[in-house]
Order: sequence, then structure tokens, then C-alpha cells
Amino acid sequence: MSIFQLHVNGRLHTVDIDGNMPLLWALRDILGLKGTKFGCGVAQCGACTVHLDGRAVRSCSVDVGVACLSKITTIEGLSPDGSHPCQKAWVELGVPQCGFCQPGQIMSAAALLTATNGANPTDEQIDNAMRGNICRCGTYPRIREAIHKAAGGAKS
Amino acid sequence: MSKVTRRKFLRDAGIGAGALVWGCYIGPKGLFAREHLPEIIHTGVPLGKNNYFVAIVPIEGTIVITTHRAEMGQGIRSSLAAVLADELEADWSRVRLRQANADSDKYAIEFPYEVKEELPFPYNMVHRSKPPQYLIPVEGSQFTDSSRSMTAYFKPMRLFGAGVRAAFEQAAARVFNVDPSQCHASQHKVHAGGQSIDYGDPRLLFHAGKLPPAKYEDIEAALKDPKDWVFITAAKKPMPFADVSDMVTGKPIYGADQDLPGMLTAMIERCPVANGRITSFDPAPALAVPGVRKVMRVLPANVPPGGVGQRFLPHDGIAVIAENTWAALQGRRALRPTIVCDYPDDLARENAKYDSQVFRQTLKDSTAAKGMLVRKTKADLSDADFADSANVVEAEYYVPHLAQAPMEPPVAIALYRNETMEAWAPTQNPELAQQDIGRVLYGLTWDHDLDEEEIQQIRKTVTLHMPLLGGGFGRKSKPDYILEAAFLAKQNPGVPIRVQWTREDDIKFSYYNAASSQYLKAAVDGKKTTALLQRSAFTSFFGTLFPESRAKERAALFNGGIYPYGSAIERAQGLEDMPFDVPKLLIENCPAKNYIRVGWMRSVANIYHAFASGSFADELAEKKGADPKDHLLDLIGNGRIIPLPEEAVPEFNNNGLPVKIINLPVAGGKILPMVPGYPPDTRHLLAVVKKVAEVSDWNNKVKQYKGTRRGLGIAAHRSFLSYVATVIDVSLSEANELTINDVYTVVDCGLAVNPDRVKAQMEGAVVYGLSLALLGEITVKNGAVEQNNFDDYPVLRIHQTPRNISVTIMEVDKETPPTGIGEVGVPTVAPALANAIVAAGGPRIREIPFYKKVVVL
Repeated sequence: MSIFQLHVNGRLHTVDIDGNMPLLWALRDILGLKGTKFGCGVAQCGACTVHLDGRAVRSCSVDVGVACLSKITTIEGLSPDGSHPCQKAWVELGVPQCGFCQPGQIMSAAALLTATNGANPTDEQIDNAMRGNICRCGTYPRIREAIHKAAGGAKS
Repeated sequence: MSKVTRRKFLRDAGIGAGALVWGCYIGPKGLFAREHLPEIIHTGVPLGKNNYFVAIVPIEGTIVITTHRAEMGQGIRSSLAAVLADELEADWSRVRLRQANADSDKYAIEFPYEVKEELPFPYNMVHRSKPPQYLIPVEGSQFTDSSRSMTAYFKPMRLFGAGVRAAFEQAAARVFNVDPSQCHASQHKVHAGGQSIDYGDPRLLFHAGKLPPAKYEDIEAALKDPKDWVFITAAKKPMPFADVSDMVTGKPIYGADQDLPGMLTAMIERCPVANGRITSFDPAPALAVPGVRKVMRVLPANVPPGGVGQRFLPHDGIAVIAENTWAALQGRRALRPTIVCDYPDDLARENAKYDSQVFRQTLKDSTAAKGMLVRKTKADLSDADFADSANVVEAEYYVPHLAQAPMEPPVAIALYRNETMEAWAPTQNPELAQQDIGRVLYGLTWDHDLDEEEIQQIRKTVTLHMPLLGGGFGRKSKPDYILEAAFLAKQNPGVPIRVQWTREDDIKFSYYNAASSQYLKAAVDGKKTTALLQRSAFTSFFGTLFPESRAKERAALFNGGIYPYGSAIERAQGLEDMPFDVPKLLIENCPAKNYIRVGWMRSVANIYHAFASGSFADELAEKKGADPKDHLLDLIGNGRIIPLPEEAVPEFNNNGLPVKIINLPVAGGKILPMVPGYPPDTRHLLAVVKKVAEVSDWNNKVKQYKGTRRGLGIAAHRSFLSYVATVIDVSLSEANELTINDVYTVVDCGLAVNPDRVKAQMEGAVVYGLSLALLGEITVKNGAVEQNNFDDYPVLRIHQTPRNISVTIMEVDKETPPTGIGEVGVPTVAPALANAIVAAGGPRIREIPFYKKVVVL
């Protein structure tokens, strides 16, 4: 066990845990941030996606000892009130079905829009940014539409 | 104000037994304390049992609607509540949803319905237009399965809403001292002349509580005219989607998200073989992992390990119980090498030899011989019909085991204390889970039939909370993972135990969709198909669920066939009701045994039956040189209610609707024996085929694509009382790399109560169907599933999803009741895709997954 400082959603948390613990479990079990989901544990499904310094990463596959070097943003910290353009577009288009994967989807999509500086991504850019996020309900068509909408653009 | 107890309030309000009671709760913080609105007492609309579905907070006027089904992505929580709110004329911004616990006493509505012996001619023209007169489906539980929620509860929710609204109108008449006919409710108020009174007004509630119980007929008469609907069919306002804002901010509680003080997390290492036992293990390495508290067996000695014939019992397993998930995972890794499994009986030994590739041949061999009769035309089919081999088409289709892989792996929490059990369990089957937890609580084994007293005792002492499900797809109809939590909780009194499955657990310990082999053979005469033989072999789920000692239960479910033949439910999913109108038809079911746990996955037996019939129709068109769409219409014929009773199907399991045969007078003074309700009617199937041809621009595109590496495929199927036709447009590169350009799908699901969610379900079903068709395969070697996670059990991702999935909902009369939607979009996808690949110059694919025959990037 070691002491780590985790900078999550603008707050500093001091935790005494195994440095090899994946960030996912530290967020969920230690910090009680349940919005980040466990779907596969091997960076295959993207349900656990969070931002490290603004980049989308799979928190199941990043150790706390590494994550503590970056600013961590989870779905709870993406916006104070659900007003991120992706969140708004997701609501307007009724993207979620069961909703379980959507925090991860939204974190990936938000990172994509940061990478394009808010410009409307092409469908290929969406494919590349979002192919690591599985949705078993099959909301992909609406995810694509919502990303375009969040970027303020029509479908490219 | 002084503290008021609920009992006192009720007494003061003059509300007694038999009266219409507007249940309300007076909490310790007073009358307005909305945060203290627990189990709501609500008798009211006298529909068989009491109304626990709607309550109102006095003065504040918040309407609390109880949602009793499992929410796993269908949007049913909002849809059913909105139906009720619509009839109630509630202001949605003043509606709050409350998720029910498992409770059959409250939520299994015994609903009055009537099946008339003889229906007026022409019954076949009106059978779906006015069924409430003679048929309302009964769904006696919260079991959220078979795409039945809206079919079963649309009418009850309407009645609850209308009943309360009518009572408010009558109560307002007393408040205003006017005739009830002058009172009209709208938007959370009752208006009379220039006056109005809010639903929360205590005067209104007082008088409502004094009303005599309403009669069913009066409530039915109070139902809104469809032209006055607001949310239903999104007539005036979009259907609300109550959970969506929470879902995009990470707030909702799914199975793994419930936090309880002192909770420990368990990970379980299981015997990979069905019915196998763990004979020894060493807890020491796991206990050496920091944070690991205990290592223990899950099952008590008197409970057999799960597997074939053991219902929903979990595989034998050893739990590592730890302070957090990471510690449990590490402890489990340390435990794994110490586990020794053994196969103590013939069943387990046989299972330990199971090889799904070898079994594929066994299934195929099964269809080579005559099977159990499923359906036949009056005209007998014989070998002579296939004598002219130049005009015979035959084909075999194979679908492997498939795993549902819901996005949240199974997880459940149980807490045993003070001789009671409390569980937080994302389940599609709350009452069964509750009963099975009760068996754990009282040490009752599964070979014991619970009597009514035991069931009542269990209902009193087992509380089951229903969080949101992170997907279900049939996996979470089986409570094995909940039982694991219960078994462990029983051994750890006072400590909440959360059993967390990994994705590997989910893939390796599913209740898999049946592996199936289908053999079809047809005789062709010019453009006509004169004879058709279909033999279906599949591993029936009831073979998994009941051991041979439960012969009676099996027989009841098999309806004529006994395991290793298929059950009535599976036969009714695209086999008995195979839609093609051929002069000589013979359908048989061939036996197949289970060696792993078999359950069901979204659309179940329809997957392999539709794949076979939909592909074979296309093969016949190819043989005849006909356009596949025109040929499909020809093959379905003129349109008819499939005369099942006349064709050796005495009882058709019509998705749980009454199957009693009625004698229907038809033209010419004849009597046609018929299954009432929503019989398989190929006129609806023809209509969706025609519609999908229109929206996909079939005729033009077929011409346009001719001779190119682009093509269209079509398939149509009825399931869960709904009709679907799908066209898929694909391109193939010279290297056979597949691109799916467009999917057009058309559904007739009766009244589309929530059109946006209907659309969402159909979009999702296309993705689910493409997943299983292109990529789906579970293989078993030495009794153990070979796949592990999404790397070797891949599912469709966004870059593989067609850019255009077009959904068309057939317009129906507003009186048409809703039929299934959750599963119905899946079955047509695989055959339409296979047919499209052929049209694009690719190979004929007769087995799932397709990636073995074309390149899926």
C-alpha cells in the first residue's frame, strides 16, 4: 500500500492503496465515483473511459501509480450540470437505451471534440475515436448523429 | 404541525376498507415530506387486485407512478408511466417514478379478460382491430421477457390512469357541488365551469376517498378517445424519457453501483464444466493477498452444482471475499491454480467431453432422420415429391451457441440479517429470484415444490430491489448470479456481499442460445414450390432447466414433445408458424441434447428458424431465377391466418397468450378452428415486405446493382406477435471485404405507443442481429467454453455499423393493441444479410458467423 494523490474532477484525493490497482477500481471502490463503469477489464469495451489530461483512456488499464501524474476527469466531472455539448446532444437525440456504456461513450466523444477543437468530425474520425467503445444495445447510429450535433454540425 | 401518523391521517380522512383510497404518506417531517415517500398504500381502481401503481402526495400534488418492470434499455419505465399519466391527465413535470421491488402480490395483475367461443364473421378481418372485447393478454408477473411489457400492460396502465381521473372528476363534482358531467380533468386539475381544483388539493382527495369502488365497465368507459392522447403514440407531445438526463451524467444506479456500509466484494472461481464439482482448493495464496478477508465455497453441501437439468443454480464455485474489487480479483488469480475439478456422475462426465465442433455433426446427423411431427398440410408429403432431383433444392444451416453479453456483467448484492434476506439485483425475473433467494434463506432445495405458505413466507422475508439493468437480452432472466450472492450472504450474516462477475465469467458461464442445425428441402415446379420439408434440431433450454426427474414439469412445457425434443415455446418461434404457403408441407423437430447450460438470447429460437427459412426462400428464388422480393411474396402466398389447428398444431404457444381453440364461422357456412388473439397472419407479413421494398427502393436498386459487387437481400419474419421485413444493401470488394451500406427495416408492432423507443429498439436489434450474424460464436472444448472476452467473442462496433439504419413503423388503427418490440428486429437480420451477400456476388453463407466466409473489417 502507498499513498497517492489523485486529482479527480478538480479535487485532490489522498488515498492509501496498492499502486497497481487500476484507476477504474480506485474511482469506483475507493472514491465512490460510480459513473465510470466496468465492462471488460481489458480495455476492449470502453465502458470505463475517463480523461487523463483531456485524453480518453480506459481506466481499467491504467494503474493508479500512473494516473496520479495526470488530471483525471470522469463523467461526473465532465460538466457541472450535464451541459457539455455531448451530454445535451445525447439527451436531445435520446441516444441511451440501457445507458450503461454511455458515460464511456460520452467521455470518448468529448475527447474527440476536444481533439478537433470543436470542429465537426468526419464519420471516419468518429469511427476511429469511438471504435473502442462497445454498445450492446446498438445505439451507434444515434451516437454518430449526436457527435455531429454536439459539434454544431449537420451529418458530414 | 404536529407529527401525524399515516394511520391517523387515513382515519381522519375517513378512508376505510373498500373505499377508494388515495394513498399518501405522512412522514416524520410532516405532510409535505416528499423525500419520505416509501411503500405507498394505494388501493383504488378495482382491477382484480389493488392498484399499487399510482399515488399522489397531498397538497404538493406530485403523482408517484410505480414502474414494475425491469428496465434494461427498452425505455419501459417511462413508457408505461407515460401511458398512465396520459390517461390521468397528469402534468409530467409533476410525475415521479418509483421503481417497484419484486412483489407478485402487488404487481402481478390478474386482469379480467374473456375469450368468446365464437366470434362474428368476418373474424379474420377484425382480429387485431378490437381485441379488448374478447382478449387481453395476461402477464401474471414482473418477469420482463418475451417482449411482452407493452402488450400486457398498455391497457392496465390506461385503466389505472383513467380510473383515477374519473374518480377525481367525481370528487371535484362534490367539492364544487355540481353534476359530475360538468367536471373535466386536464393537466393536473379538474375544471368545472370557471372553477378548477388541483389534483393535490386535500378537498379533492378527501372526496375521492369517500367514493364507492368504481366498476370495471365505468373505468373502461372513462378511457380517453385516442384523439385526446397526449403522450401515447407521441400524439401531441414526445413520450418522456425519464432516465436520460441521469444516464448522460453517470448518476443512475445499476447493479454494481449500490453502495452499502460494510459491503464486501466477492469474485468466484468456478468449475468450467456443467454439473462438475470442485473437489479441492487451497485458500492460502488468496488469503495472502492484502484486502482478502475470506475464501469459501459458494454452495452448501446439499445443493448440487449448476449445469444441465439444474435450473438456475450456479456452477460450483469458490468465492474470494475481499474489501474491494481489485483485491478480490487478485485473490481469485491466486486461488485459480489450486482448484481441482471432478466429474462425479455420468452427466458431468459426459459434459466434460462436450466438444461443440463435434456436436455440430451430431446436430446435422439428427436432421438426417425423421423427427417429431411439428406441422403438416393435409396433403401428405412423401419421397415421391422429391423424385425429380433436377427440381429439388436442399440446404443445411447452422447457428452456434451464442452468448448475450449484456454491457454490465452479472452482479448482485445480498444481505442476510435477522432471519431475512435483502437483495439488490438487476434481474429480468424478480419474483423467481425472490423465491430462489427464499430457498437459500430457508435451506430449501430445488427438488422441493414451494407451497403457498412457503411462498407467502418468502415474500415477507425476502426483499428484492431492482436497480437498472446494464442490458439483459435474456441473460438476466436467470438468477444464478443472484443465488451466488445469497448463498454467500447466508454464510456471512450481517455483511452485504456483492458478487461481481468479470466479462470472462459472463462469456464462460452464460445460459447460451441453443446451437441449431436446420435442414430444408423443397420441390420446385417452374415458379412454384410444390413441397417443403423442414427439420429443425436445437438444444432446448428446458433440457437445461429441468432434470429428468421433473418429468411432469417438462411435459407441461413441452406440449407434446419431451426433451431432447424442443419445447412448445421454441417450436412456436418460427417453426410451427413458418409462413410459406406450400401445397405440401412437413415440419419436424429432431432431438438434441444439452451438455452446457442453454437459455435464451434476444429473439431466441427465431434466430435460427428465421435464418433458415429466410435464407432458403432466397435459395429457391435463385433456383427459379426469380426476383427475391417478388418470390418471397409469392412464397408467402395470398395472405392468411395460418391454419395451425388444421395442420397438426393443436396448441400454439402464441407468446403466452391464451391458446384455447375457438370455432370460427367463415364464408360458406364452414367452421374454422382458430387460435384467438393475435394469430400468425401472413397478410401482415406481406404488408411489411411490400413496405420495405418501397422504402428501400428495391426494384430500382436491383436493376442498378445488377452485375456489380453490390446487392440487396431481403427477409421477413413474425415474432412476439409482430411482423418485420428487412432489406440490407451490401458491397463486396474483390477480396470479399464486406461493407454494409444500408439497412431498411419495417415493423408492424400494432400500436407504436412510444414511436421513438420502438425506433430505438429496431435500430439496436439491427446492430444486435449484425453482431451475431457476422461475429457470433461460442465454442466448447472438453466441456469448457473457449471464449473469454470481447477480444475473442467480438461484437459489432461503430465502424462496422451501417451508416444508414432506416426504421419504418407500419401505421395501424388507433384501436390496435401493441405487440412485441424488444426482440422482433433481430431475426430477419442474418438471413437478409446472407441473401445480400449472394446478390453482391459473394458466397452463399449457411452458417453463423459470416466472418469465416467474407472479410469483416
